[in-house]
Amino acid sequence: MCLALLPFQVFSQDKKPEPGVFMKDPGSELWRQVRQRDMEGVGISQVRGVDSGVLINARGDQWARFRMTQLSTYGGFAIAGIFAIVILFYVVRGSVPVEGGLSGRMVKRFTDYERVVHWTLAIVFLFLAITGLILLLGRPVLLPLFGKEVFSLMASASKEGHNLFGPLFLVSLIMMLISFVRRNIYEKGDMTWLLKGGGLIGDGHASGGFFNMGEKTWYWMVILIGLVIAVSGLILVSPSLGQGRVIMELSHIVHSIGALVLMTVSVGHMYLGSIGSEGALEGMKTGYVDINWADAHHDRWGKVCHEQDLIISAEEYARSQGQKPGADKMETAEQSK
Amino acid sequence: MARMKFFCDAERCIECNACVTACKNEHEVPWGVNRRRVVTIKDGEQGERSLSVACMHCSDAPCATVCPVDCFYTTGDGIVLHDKDICIGCGYCFYACPFGAPQFPEDAAFASRGKMDKCTFCAGGPEDDHTSDEYKKYGRNRLSEGKLPLCAEMCATKALLAGDADVVADIYRKRIINRGSSAFNWGVNDLNLGG
Amino acid sequence: MIENLIDGPLWYFSLAVFVIGVVWRLGSIIFASRKQDLSVARGAAGPAAIKTVFSRFVPHKEIVSQITVPFVAGYMFHLGLFALLFFAAPHVAFLEENLLGFGWTPMPHWAFIVASQLAFLGLIMLWVRRMVNPVSRLISTWDDHVAAILTFVVMLTGCFALLEGSTGLRLLHRFSVELWLIYFPFSALMHTFTFIPSRAFTGAWFGRRGIDA
Ligand code: HEM
Ligand code: HEM
Repeated sequence: MCLALLPFQVFSQDKKPEPGVFMKDPGSELWRQVRQRDMEGVGISQVRGVDSGVLINARGDQWARFRMTQLSTYGGFAIAGIFAIVILFYVVRGSVPVEGGLSGRMVKRFTDYERVVHWTLAIVFLFLAITGLILLLGRPVLLPLFGKEVFSLMASASKEGHNLFGPLFLVSLIMMLISFVRRNIYEKGDMTWLLKGGGLIGDGHASGGFFNMGEKTWYWMVILIGLVIAVSGLILVSPSLGQGRVIMELSHIVHSIGALVLMTVSVGHMYLGSIGSEGALEGMKTGYVDINWADAHHDRWGKVCHEQDLIISAEEYARSQGQKPGADKMETAEQSK
Repeated sequence: MARMKFFCDAERCIECNACVTACKNEHEVPWGVNRRRVVTIKDGEQGERSLSVACMHCSDAPCATVCPVDCFYTTGDGIVLHDKDICIGCGYCFYACPFGAPQFPEDAAFASRGKMDKCTFCAGGPEDDHTSDEYKKYGRNRLSEGKLPLCAEMCATKALLAGDADVVADIYRKRIINRGSSAFNWGVNDLNLGG
Repeated sequence: MIENLIDGPLWYFSLAVFVIGVVWRLGSIIFASRKQDLSVARGAAGPAAIKTVFSRFVPHKEIVSQITVPFVAGYMFHLGLFALLFFAAPHVAFLEENLLGFGWTPMPHWAFIVASQLAFLGLIMLWVRRMVNPVSRLISTWDDHVAAILTFVVMLTGCFALLEGSTGLRLLHRFSVELWLIYFPFSALMHTFTFIPSRAFTGAWFGRRGIDA
């Protein structure tokens, strides 16, 4: 390659008119190189290591300022804000009851495996969220409370816990992706749900299939943002892969913004999945939901259940939960003897 | 009170790496850790220059700003030190530092980083001076013995200067004056004399 | 103060409770007097007992599809826990210094991490299934829950102490281990040992009757 070019170079050198004396200020040239504004001209060093030839990485300070001023401030307000909103919402609207009350007649919604996947994902996610927030917001919030020594222990534990549980999030995310994806494809009718504000605003009923538009959107947020968080997290967790500082800084920004978005929305999800909406938690707890709940929140799926005669009586349901028909509470006290 | 600074004179540094070796030896730093390194730019080209770099003991240090556990502190001499008992090895200081000064003991894949290690300006750490604890964690405390950092003391060409910023600046200013203003006195650089 | 207690007397106390408790309970199971079986033997009890101890590691084909979660998660948890308990570098070092006086080659750090990740995921899934499956939940006693949670706490504090950089976190882990050791002999955790005589007994009983199961 070089040899092939050589003749041309000689040729062009012959042709080019030379200036008499051409020189740049050597002092400023040197420091321009050192500063590496355009991230070019990396030097070499006898000390082997990623980026060891970089003298000045100007992005580092930018990243630090972003994390300390924007990320932690807005992140903190987002988390605090969503809790405030949810509490306010609960005070104003209370638990949304199922229209016509619960019938006691149930229909199967989730298998054991699906529930195991959901709660495993939720546990791992919440663990990662808490440990991640301790790292991000601990210095302004917890350190003044506990002092450096104690907070250092908390942060060290959080960091190790976060790093160990990170890959588990990816695994449970993939399990969630596989077992729930079929029912989360957007379909006709989902738009009307959106137009009605999901039934949360006003009194109108919002139409939905097995999952309604809101749940589907939550599902895809979890999957897509979750994958971004997982990949950027894995880049951060393995410093020995040979990636440079700039990649780490970008990964951190992507990771923490994604995590904050997902954490914020997850508070809303947890509210709607528990105290916000009567009858919703049953499905994830026992696998069965009340048919009236299905009709109210997932009318198209409810219709299918009616048509295909999938509904079981209160007695059958009680038996499936190992209770004596009619008994309200499980007799665990007797059991444990 | 003194403000301690390093300065590396690029016109004098000959990339001998004696500073790196001296530092490693003096402090017996763990495997994979180099508190100081020499970087050569334009290696083998016209205008090749080398600079020895370690922690610059910034006045407004980004590492201290970003540390999640607030383990950094600045001594009365303007030296930026950190407390390894507080450090959790998260690596954020390494991302923030423009100079790549923070170092982490080398570990295999999946391993979390160990606690951060960096140049202390040969001033030890928060432990009592000259204790074995201090030596194990931070290396020799030369400053309290009235000595300057070994890297600078070792430098054969006196390219690397360390000490009170005023004194260092004074020495360098005298050198500049001696070199004169002509670019030719800087050594052959990006010159093209035509023909 | 508390450091001396956890590293000293409490450690020996919990170890003693563990060893004596396990020996006593195993002994009382093995040497319990049983009614003599007067029936005519249709097969050999011994080989069947040994066979059953191992054959029960594999579930029956017919039910695998119904117990996928406990089957897979169960193996993940137990194998991961076994590996990290006996082959993680800090554990090998601890056993050598405090108990045995000799050590063996530990696994590399990445394997330690992977093993604990398997163990964590397995335990979480097992416990979640215990809670969401109506039958499992019904037959779970508080002992099962305490055993699972205590084991989880031991693993979690160990995970917290992974940096091996502070006494506080190490003591927390050691303290939870001590609680676990004291709880062990009197709880469902005894299945670590009792699964062998239990399977053997069933196997022998079946073998003698000529039942191939
Ligand atoms: C601890 C609080 C939580 C509660 C009470 C809860 C409750 C629920 C309920 C009841 C459902 C089923 C809704 C239905 O039957 O249509 C559900 C679905 C779901 N949850 Fe949760 N959940 C919680 C935490 C989480 C967390 C932390 C995540 C993940 C980050 C998560 C992700 C999901 C996903 C992806 C679905 C499926 C939605 C779909 O496929 O469309 N949940 N949750
Ligand atoms: C595959 C999954 C994940 C991996 C591998 C992972 C890994 C990491 C790593 C390596 C860090 C840098 C801090 C450190 O070294 O300890 C980090 C920070 C963080 N992660 Fe994750 N993480 C994962 C999932 C999550 C999830 C699901 C959340 C939130 C719900 C989350 C929230 C955070 C937060 C808030 C930070 C702190 C950022 C800061 O302190 O500036 N991570 N994560």
